Amino acid sequence: MKQVVVHPERCVGCRQCMLACATAHSQSQRLTSAVLETPRPKPRVHVGVGRLEEGFPNRCRHCDPAPCMLACLPGAIYRDTATQTVLIDADRCINCASCAMVCPFGVLRYHADRLAPAGKTVAVKCDNCIARQIQGLVPACVEACRTGALTFETLDQAMKRKTDAVSRSMSTTAVEAEAPAGVSLLHQIKKVQARLRT
Amino acid sequence: MHHVIIGNGIAGVSAAEAIRRIDPHSAITMIGDETEIPYCRPMISMVLEGALGPERLPIRGRDFYASLKISPLLGERVTALDTDARQVTIGEGRTISYDRLLIASGADPRPIKAEGCDLENIFFLRNQAQVRRMQAVLPDAREALVLGGGLVGFKAAYGLLRRGLKVTLVIRSGYPLSMQADETAGAMVLAELCRQGLDVRVGVEAIGFEGGTAVRRAHLSDGTQLACDLVVVGKGVLPAHSFVNRSQITVDLGIVVDAHMRTGAAHVFAAGDVAEAVDLARQTRWVNAIWPEAVAQGRLAGQNMAGRSVAGTGSLGRNVIRIFDLDIMTGGIVSPEQEKGYEILQCHDPRSHTYRKMVFQCDRLVGVVMVNRIEQGGVLLSMIQGRIPVAIDKEKMLSPGFNYAQLLP
Ligand SMILES: Cc1cc2nc3c(=O)[nH]c(=O)nc-3n(C[C@H](O)[C@H](O)[C@H](O)COP(=O)(O)OP(=O)(O)OC[C@H]3O[C@@H](n4cnc5c(N)ncnc54)[C@H](O)[C@@H]3O)c2cc1C
Ligand code: SF4
Repeated sequence: MKQVVVHPERCVGCRQCMLACATAHSQSQRLTSAVLETPRPKPRVHVGVGRLEEGFPNRCRHCDPAPCMLACLPGAIYRDTATQTVLIDADRCINCASCAMVCPFGVLRYHADRLAPAGKTVAVKCDNCIARQIQGLVPACVEACRTGALTFETLDQAMKRKTDAVSRSMSTTAVEAEAPAGVSLLHQIKKVQARLRT
Repeated sequence: MHHVIIGNGIAGVSAAEAIRRIDPHSAITMIGDETEIPYCRPMISMVLEGALGPERLPIRGRDFYASLKISPLLGERVTALDTDARQVTIGEGRTISYDRLLIASGADPRPIKAEGCDLENIFFLRNQAQVRRMQAVLPDAREALVLGGGLVGFKAAYGLLRRGLKVTLVIRSGYPLSMQADETAGAMVLAELCRQGLDVRVGVEAIGFEGGTAVRRAHLSDGTQLACDLVVVGKGVLPAHSFVNRSQITVDLGIVVDAHMRTGAAHVFAAGDVAEAVDLARQTRWVNAIWPEAVAQGRLAGQNMAGRSVAGTGSLGRNVIRIFDLDIMTGGIVSPEQEKGYEILQCHDPRSHTYRKMVFQCDRLVGVVMVNRIEQGGVLLSMIQGRIPVAIDKEKMLSPGFNYAQLLP
């Protein structure tokens, strides 16, 4: 089964994934008209700023067992077994934030949503773009990411790519770094800048 | 193998499900004095408020017992437990034998010592039956008195305010949420409650009630008298273990359990509001009577009862409360005694109505208070739970921009 894999070392913090995510969860599915919708579509992936000001695309890990599922008071959080996606039933959600209290990654947000009862504030988080996946599309954040920080693949594949990259960097003949050269340079500069500030 | 579970609250339900996942065949008997299908206890105040009907409370299907092949004994109370004979007594004297027993009897509201407590229209808010009784008198009620500035007191006060009653909240300590939050957060909450139209009296308690058959007036410890026709007592809970023989099972405030949810008696487990496990922040035994702990402990007990040896890491007291326009999240040790060598960092921004406080013990986070902007609270509470050494600048954790990415190497 394919899933979204995050490669933080490749993230440049451009936030394209956030825009794509909000758009994918909008009525119109187009950025230009999505911004005019009420409720305003909001992203479910959040690019956090790390200590060196590097970006980190933070999204629901769809943990198993999922702490939010166990803590949710009305039992509004459930798992779609076909895609291993943890989902929230907006009708049942009572906006108690018990899920935020137990989420180790801090990925939950609370606001009105197109698919929730009108005017109701509910818990919102990544749904693995199930609606897009049904149409044969990859999750919107993956499609938007230009640097390969978000990929859609099986975990085996992702592991293999990682080990291949490590072995390549160990060998003397090939020197391709894990992250693209531009990204590595950017991270180096950010590191130096951070050090200069302190 | 016969599993017997006392209590059909969320701890008992979670345990039964965990047993069934591992062991499809053994007999399971659940004894519970509430006859409803398993329901969400924290949501009963929403029924009181009128935000939803009782049909929204169940958290499992009607066929819960049948589908898991559980024999339910509902509307029955366990009155005695003999761990030598391995049997529990129900009601007047029927006994049931067990191979594995789970005590998941939860907690009862803490009673108050005041004259006239037995007058009509003085209620506790713990189960659906009590809410139904309150609803029956609501149409004639005008002035409500709520005792207790904790979670249940708030929820009751909020619900009654929404029903259009004049509500007075009486809190014995100097500020609300004294068990969950610190003074600064308490003051913010107090201001918000008053702003929303609640009459809040702090530092006083009710010492007596009067009326004919039903309550009409309350006397407070500061000498004031208040007219009231409905009283809700929300002064915390006490573990419900009156049927336990203390010479057979170690009982402190709650029933003492080890990391496997085992009690001192062979083959007897305890979980949920009735149990006292090691608290991860305090590193000592503590009763953390909250829903997520009841779920976690119930599951753990069920797994161990079914023969899979699984150890838990301990419990953590934490709460999230949305009161009108304020969001409060707290956990662990929030108001430590000065001398014990804790390091406290805090940041209060009255303009944005945000407050953050963190309590550290050496390089470990042991307590958190957050008012508003609580989305990242789970990251911090998970650090307490995991006893993860803090490797970053602690001040950074106070900043509103703190997020998971900052913990990465
Ligand atoms: C109004 C209210 C709001 C709350 N809000 C929150 C919240 O927002 N967040 C949170 O984390 N927690 C909240 N709680 C606390 C939460 O409901 C409890 O922590 C949780 O229900 C504990 O589950 P339990 O299964 O251990 O016990 P209980 O839910 O108390 O279940 C125990 C069951 O056993 C039965 N029983 C007891 N003794 C016997 C006996 N001798 N024989 C047979 N049956 C018996 C009881 O009748 C009960 O049905 C709230 C509680 C209340 C009342
Ligand atoms: S906010 Fe909604 S989804 Fe989250 S725990 Fe509460 S009810 Fe469940």
